[in-house]
Amino acid sequence: MMADICARDAIPAQALRVANLTKRYGHELAISDVTFSLVPGEVLGIVGPNGAGKTTLLETLAGLLAADSGAVFWRGKQLPPQCRRDALFYLPDGVKPYQDRFAAEVVSFFGSVYNRSAAEIAARIAAVGLAPVLGKRVRALSKGYNRRLLIAIGLLTPQDVLLMDEPFDGFDLRQTRHIVEVIRNEAAKGRSFMLAIHQLADAERVCDRFILLAGGQVRAIGTLDELRAQTSRRGASLEELFLALT
Amino acid sequence: MRLPRAHRLCAPSLRPLLAKELAEIVSGRALWTMLLLACPLVGFSFVQAVALYSEASAAALQSPVLATSLSPLDGILVPTFGAFYLAVTLLFPFVAIRALGQEKETGALRLLVQLPYRSSTLIIAKLAAVLAAWALVSIPALSTLAIWAVLGGHLALSETLNLLLGHLLYGLLVGAIALLAATISDNSATAAIIALAVTIGSWVLDFTFAGRSGLSAWFAQLSLTQTLRSFEQGLFSAGLVLGIMAVVCGLAAVASVWLPPGIVPRIKLVRSALCVLVTVVAIVIASQIREAVDVTEDQRNSFLPADQRLLATLRLPLAVTVNLAPEDPRYVDLQRNVLAKLERAMPNVSVVFAGGRRDVARKSPDDAYGTIEYVYGNRSDVSRSTSPREILPLLYALASTQPPASAAGAEYPGYPLVASAEATWLWFLGGLPVLIVLGWSWTRRPPRIPASFVEGGPP
Repeated sequence: MMADICARDAIPAQALRVANLTKRYGHELAISDVTFSLVPGEVLGIVGPNGAGKTTLLETLAGLLAADSGAVFWRGKQLPPQCRRDALFYLPDGVKPYQDRFAAEVVSFFGSVYNRSAAEIAARIAAVGLAPVLGKRVRALSKGYNRRLLIAIGLLTPQDVLLMDEPFDGFDLRQTRHIVEVIRNEAAKGRSFMLAIHQLADAERVCDRFILLAGGQVRAIGTLDELRAQTSRRGASLEELFLALT
Repeated sequence: MRLPRAHRLCAPSLRPLLAKELAEIVSGRALWTMLLLACPLVGFSFVQAVALYSEASAAALQSPVLATSLSPLDGILVPTFGAFYLAVTLLFPFVAIRALGQEKETGALRLLVQLPYRSSTLIIAKLAAVLAAWALVSIPALSTLAIWAVLGGHLALSETLNLLLGHLLYGLLVGAIALLAATISDNSATAAIIALAVTIGSWVLDFTFAGRSGLSAWFAQLSLTQTLRSFEQGLFSAGLVLGIMAVVCGLAAVASVWLPPGIVPRIKLVRSALCVLVTVVAIVIASQIREAVDVTEDQRNSFLPADQRLLATLRLPLAVTVNLAPEDPRYVDLQRNVLAKLERAMPNVSVVFAGGRRDVARKSPDDAYGTIEYVYGNRSDVSRSTSPREILPLLYALASTQPPASAAGAEYPGYPLVASAEATWLWFLGGLPVLIVLGWSWTRRPPRIPASFVEGGPP
């Protein structure tokens, strides 16, 4: 993975830049002055404890929540909230889309909206291992298969950046490793990912860089090595770094 | 594996969206439950209507004069579709709310609003699905038309289609209200409360302000049930149709303002206010269109053809001053038998309402009360009659015109029919419910999954 990261580090263009994004719920500050950037083909992990603001950050980025201040730039140009869907697609956590429909119908719907061919849809189904449940209604899917359905939908979308909230929730270790591979393959083709993950071991497996978020504030940003350097802890795991930095 | 950028910017096809919306609303139980409930409701009204019509017809078969008053529109269609109106008012909001409510509750809406469709497109697609759902739930009512024809009953095409159009517009209006309620509510239960508050609130408006004048009368006109009255009377009013469509479009516009998350409420309120403003302007413009076509076979909303033709040639303004209270039955007669017809027949008629509430406590009666003054050009006359037989000659005298010769035209014969619809209970409580259950199970069948989709197994 390190070789991949180095290769990506060589890509100079910022795909996405987020500057001072702030969101309040009433008087409560959900995220405060969040600033970071994302380069093409990068997998960026947003890690933090429950209530850190991970989901709020993703939803504000996707334009599903109105930010109080801050801006999002796409390839150097400001991207207003109503245009975010041109560049970003967000897969929320805990969504069971169209529960009374069959999984095959839901995947086909999203595929046909984006003019995907049957072969392209089949490729995504195969990639995430959704085939065994295509004939089941969405409400009957297990948590893991519902997650696969959402990931298949995400892979069918054409946006350059895919935001995913807890993409490994409901997966066992083997399944997580498989989905990590799927994400890495997509990233290798130039697509960027932002993943909100609270399982730090999962985050360490898939992400190139990390945003450590706590209390709505960015505590640190960097690769694992950069975070180790910041904390002077050589060989420390992400979990140890997280505890040290938050 | 990813689409080229130019490809992405192409306008997305509406077909998958419409198919999805239709499948969503059809897969819900609310639609099929409403269909099942509508069967006995409509069936009971139809059987009762046929029984009453038959009773009246039995006497009318002996007397052609009595037969002329027997119109299937009044005797069968309006009461039967009245039951359908009841079902649409009370149950259809639940069906329409599903078009959006479940997406909100499951979070699927957050995926939907990220698709490359405008909010207005999403709402229009949902409204189209609601319209399709209305077409489905109208099957029991539509089946009564076929049964009536099979029983030997008469159906006049124009008045039947006009009534169907009225119910279609009413269904669309209720659907749009429900859709807006679902858009602004957090969940389906709240949306149902809002939608029912509006639809049932209309009845309250009707009952509370019936027969009142002034501001009360204006409030009463806001009732949704008013939209059907004209169609039930056999009038096709272009202004009313445009007005209803303006309200439906306005509701859809406000719904599309509130659909997308991520916009602060203040901006949504401003945009909603603009939509309301445009809608109000559209309604005011529509209300100025007074053209209405009498589509009834008996031309009940018109004078005799010869009178209609002659009245159309009277170009000077006719001012009518009515000294009657609006709740006075004479005013209701006058309005129905004379004023409404005059307004449609003559090019320039203005009606001034001079009669307030009659003060029954006054000891000295108001001599002017009950008089109606007609001013045509510089001539005027006063009458207390509410019958066109006396008022039309008065008007011709004011206009110095000879009344038309009473032509022996084809008079409305009336359509008496003695029949029993008791056997149709088999249809409404047996055949139709079975077909509905079969239809429901057909919509729940598993889809045909392309072989290429299942070839890739689990990892």
